Amino acid sequence: MSSAQHISQEDLILYSMQGLSPVEQEQAKEHLEACASCRSALDEVLADIALVGLSAPGQEVPAGARQRFLATIANTPQAAGEAAQPAAPESQKPFVYPVRVRKPKGGLGWFGWMTAVAALVVAVYLGVHSLQLQHQIDANHSEIAHLSAQAARAQELMDALTSPQAKQVTLTETKRPAQPVGHATYVCKTGTLIFIASNLHPVPHNKTYELWLIPANGKAPIPAGLFRPDATGAAAVVLPPLPAGIEAKAFGVTVEPAQGSATPTLPIIMAGQ
Amino acid sequence: MLHQIQAGSQDAMAAFFDRYSKMVYSVALRVLNDSSEAEDVMQEVLLQVWRNPGAFVAGRGSLGGWLVVVTRNRAVDKLRRRKISDPIELFALPSSTNLEQESERALLMEKVQTAMHTLPVEQKSALELSFFEGLSHTEIAKKTGEPLGTIKARIRLGLMAIRKGLAV
Repeated sequence: MSSAQHISQEDLILYSMQGLSPVEQEQAKEHLEACASCRSALDEVLADIALVGLSAPGQEVPAGARQRFLATIANTPQAAGEAAQPAAPESQKPFVYPVRVRKPKGGLGWFGWMTAVAALVVAVYLGVHSLQLQHQIDANHSEIAHLSAQAARAQELMDALTSPQAKQVTLTETKRPAQPVGHATYVCKTGTLIFIASNLHPVPHNKTYELWLIPANGKAPIPAGLFRPDATGAAAVVLPPLPAGIEAKAFGVTVEPAQGSATPTLPIIMAGQ
Repeated sequence: MLHQIQAGSQDAMAAFFDRYSKMVYSVALRVLNDSSEAEDVMQEVLLQVWRNPGAFVAGRGSLGGWLVVVTRNRAVDKLRRRKISDPIELFALPSSTNLEQESERALLMEKVQTAMHTLPVEQKSALELSFFEGLSHTEIAKKTGEPLGTIKARIRLGLMAIRKGLAV
């Protein structure tokens, strides 16, 4: 993949899905920066790749996700200057210092041109540097938000494990010897749930186990997480996104298609109150 | 909407969430098969729009298409425990597609799903292993026992067939 060659469509597909080796990915990136033809071909490939993504079955966003997202953005600053600069496209371009080029006058002409060239070089360097810094800041913000979310989840987990209000439920397989066992720990007030199961039977590749919270108010079961047992039959669902304040009448487990279901498919193979 | 987000409107960002979150979450969940991790990815991707809306102003390409590809790549990064993918630029979708309106998006998803189902099984499988499982073409070749060139061709032909299917 030299700069003289265009990138094949197969490699563009791999590039767009981060499937090239790191070295090839870098080479492709360099080539794309210099080759308008390959950039145009990449756009077409990306569009096709996006269409494949749309074949994913539509899934409802977990309850509470919207509130969690809005709480996150309330504590996340936007890129500096964005709010004050509606002319957004300009904000994405490397900053270039204005250079006033004067007509050469007499013996100082070469000096003027040299100054202009030097200023241009400095401006381009600063512009690229500025863009790199902006990318670094964006990456740092992303990392901080991610770490904050992780810390909050860890605290929630600790609270659930140690809370005296936590409801302990043991689920056993119905109509069968009680070898597969599931333990659910649920805190109604915060919607915090930890489910740990063992001795589970394997499920086919195109299936998954799905945990359900059955509300005490008689409303429809709430999906509480998908899980597949490991080689030893063990599995866990930790802190699935659930709405807070739902009193649980029971918990159940069903076998569903790999992507999960919005409503349980009978039979309920494990249940507990 | 992006201009309002750019001006710092959290209400506009909430509306943006309402418009795109289901699509983003569906892609992440299809890859990760874990609702909690899929929500994490959805949050990370949508947060990029909140933090730097100026990068997504209308007219540069399809924000919906960008969201799908970035979500897929980020979800695969997480699935395969690899470093975060390089950012990608906005790009245009075929002119017949529109991801902004819920109704048109639903129609488009239905068309794409139909097109996927009409693909030869081996093309569909190669595409899904590549896109949703995050396998490289070499890994797919090993997994299926087919030559690498065959896998590449299947993926390329599958993509072409989907595009063609939408044009009908």
